[in-house]
Amino acid sequence: MNARMTCPFCRREFDAAQARDACKGCRSGGGCQNVKCPYCGYETPREPRWIGWLRRRLGK
Amino acid sequence: MSLSTSIRERLFPGTNVARSAQAPAAGPAILLVGNPNVGKSALFNRLTGQYVTVSNYPGTTVEISRGRCSALGADVEIIDTPGMYSLLPITDEERVASDMLSGADVRCVVHVLDAKNLDRMLGFTLQLIETGLPVLVALNMADEARDLGIKIDVARLAAILGVPVIPTVSISGEGVADLVAAIKKTPPPSPFRVEYGNLIEEGIAGIAGRLSAGTVAARARASLLLQGDSRERERVLQEKGDLETARILQIVAATRTRLNHSPHYYVTLALRARVDQIVAECVRAPQRAPNRFRAALDRLCTHPLTGYPIVVLVLYFALYKFVGGFGAGTLVNFLEESVFKHTLIPWAVRGVAAVVPWAPLRSLLAGEYGIITLGLRYAVAIVLPIVGTFFLAFAVLEDTGYLPRLALLVDRGFKKIGLNGRAVIPIVLGFGCDTMATLVTRTLETRRERLICTILLALAIPCSAQLGVILGLLSGSGAALAVWAGVVLAIMLLTGFLSAKLLPGEQPMFYMELPPLRLPVLGNVLIKTYSRMVWYFREILPLFILASVLIWIGQITSIFQLLIRCTEPLVRGLGLPDQAAVAFLFGFFRRDYGAAGLYDLHKAGGLTVHQLTVAAITLTLFLPCIAQFLVMQKERGTRVALWIAAGVFVTAFAVGWLTHRALLLLPWVLG
Repeated sequence: MNARMTCPFCRREFDAAQARDACKGCRSGGGCQNVKCPYCGYETPREPRWIGWLRRRLGK
Repeated sequence: MSLSTSIRERLFPGTNVARSAQAPAAGPAILLVGNPNVGKSALFNRLTGQYVTVSNYPGTTVEISRGRCSALGADVEIIDTPGMYSLLPITDEERVASDMLSGADVRCVVHVLDAKNLDRMLGFTLQLIETGLPVLVALNMADEARDLGIKIDVARLAAILGVPVIPTVSISGEGVADLVAAIKKTPPPSPFRVEYGNLIEEGIAGIAGRLSAGTVAARARASLLLQGDSRERERVLQEKGDLETARILQIVAATRTRLNHSPHYYVTLALRARVDQIVAECVRAPQRAPNRFRAALDRLCTHPLTGYPIVVLVLYFALYKFVGGFGAGTLVNFLEESVFKHTLIPWAVRGVAAVVPWAPLRSLLAGEYGIITLGLRYAVAIVLPIVGTFFLAFAVLEDTGYLPRLALLVDRGFKKIGLNGRAVIPIVLGFGCDTMATLVTRTLETRRERLICTILLALAIPCSAQLGVILGLLSGSGAALAVWAGVVLAIMLLTGFLSAKLLPGEQPMFYMELPPLRLPVLGNVLIKTYSRMVWYFREILPLFILASVLIWIGQITSIFQLLIRCTEPLVRGLGLPDQAAVAFLFGFFRRDYGAAGLYDLHKAGGLTVHQLTVAAITLTLFLPCIAQFLVMQKERGTRVALWIAAGVFVTAFAVGWLTHRALLLLPWVLG
């Protein structure tokens, strides 16, 4: 199951893994650790892994 | 009827579901489409039962669920398409959903809507109806809409749209039997059309005349081509070949040149207007106090007369009081004085002296500009608390939905400097990190906008760390802060205005659907703040350590002293003491590093308010950092990047010098 996220700017939902498509052509080569919203281009830092783990543990 | 089917029939009356894990049938398919989070998958499960096939759509990682409902016939497949917001695909998931609508053997399309938010979702319904496919509308979450007192005239809505409209509750199964019955009848395509205006309609007619009728009506395909849908273009190319596609694209280009704005803009506006009419006719929602409050707040945030004072209030409380006062004042003082100066640094100096016998290495680790005494101290004691408080304030604003309203508010003003509201995204992100924001400028539509925004980010947008240090430094004098803010804002507006005048190009429109305002969620705010702090810290710590190493090498080779001597005349020209040359040298490396140097000088009592104001202005206008220059060079080319860098440094020193002279002539300004 791919992780989904909601853009904090336009509030549209997208697949975080597939959002890499929005970074195509970027010269930072994915090293920036940000997720780019494919709809509006707003960038948000990726959540640290332990937060995802905690979310799953808490069942949220 | 088997036992399992019997149980299922009792649990989910009316669906008479076949439970099979067999391969998908090769018959006409029923597509469930809709936005994410409208209960589409729950409805799919309700219709098909738990035995469904989940597979990746060919050539993609997008998962598609398929199943069958025996009430509709064993050969009829139901497909749960990925969530999509519009017929014009942007994400991979939307492209897959679009392909399924265009290519599959479609029996009918069930558009699943959230009945509570019809105004936001009906636009997509209208687009689906225009495809000419048989469409059914499932007004899902009908119970939640009822609980909120929302009354929908379903019969009227069905009559206007010309398609069956069925209220459903996928969780309880309410209305699902009616939906199945409606699907069985397979409604004819609706004659409903949206009028897009003469120029667009002419373009659509010209293109549609050259397209053959496929699964999707030629009119809808023509509309997608006009709006620049690359997927539709590929389909036309496959179907018509190079020559005919070129002719069709000529009509697209000719239509676009006749319009002031993009066709997508006109189509969106027409759909919006039609949806507003339909909602006004068919939906009655109670006027609740919280909604009225939100609507009023919405208007206040976006109206120029009230919106700009709100911006000032936000800047005052979020930036000046919280970041400048609490972050750069209270927290930095505590970490700097109590933790670093009185505890960690003396301990580190003693420890290094005891363990490391070689003097130059001792200097690298714990000397005046050492990794621990300078690099680590700047990063942890000065920059981290400031960016932490900034990111916290920013996350609160972000989570409330204020930023899109800010974009709408400044749209008109930004047009004067060659930008539009969309530029709020890179500008706002620039307060976090200018380097990242420069990369984000590529989301702007035209080369002209991207260039102007890059210049403004390089010149006049301070990053949060620098901004916090400067707010902390100038917080003791309201007049100094006002002069700094006034000069930086004036330079930003003047630069933007001149750039817009000098750089030719079109002015694109900005429009976006505003998400609702809401109270910030504590968990979201904390996670976002933490994520950003981790990201920023990882970004700056190696650079700050690298700066200490470079200074160390510079000291060993005497280059550092030479550079300081070269910088001193510039610094003297600004009326600053020679010691400020070190902070400016740091500033060449990174603006926030330079600001931290200024902080050290100020703490040592080395600057008057006049000098502090001039130094803060000059350093704010510096190029942010080496990383930003490299990104500019990659994004805009070496020649443009060099021009911008040269222009920024000249402007920074020229404005600093002019401010110095002006303050000498008008000493009363600073009191």
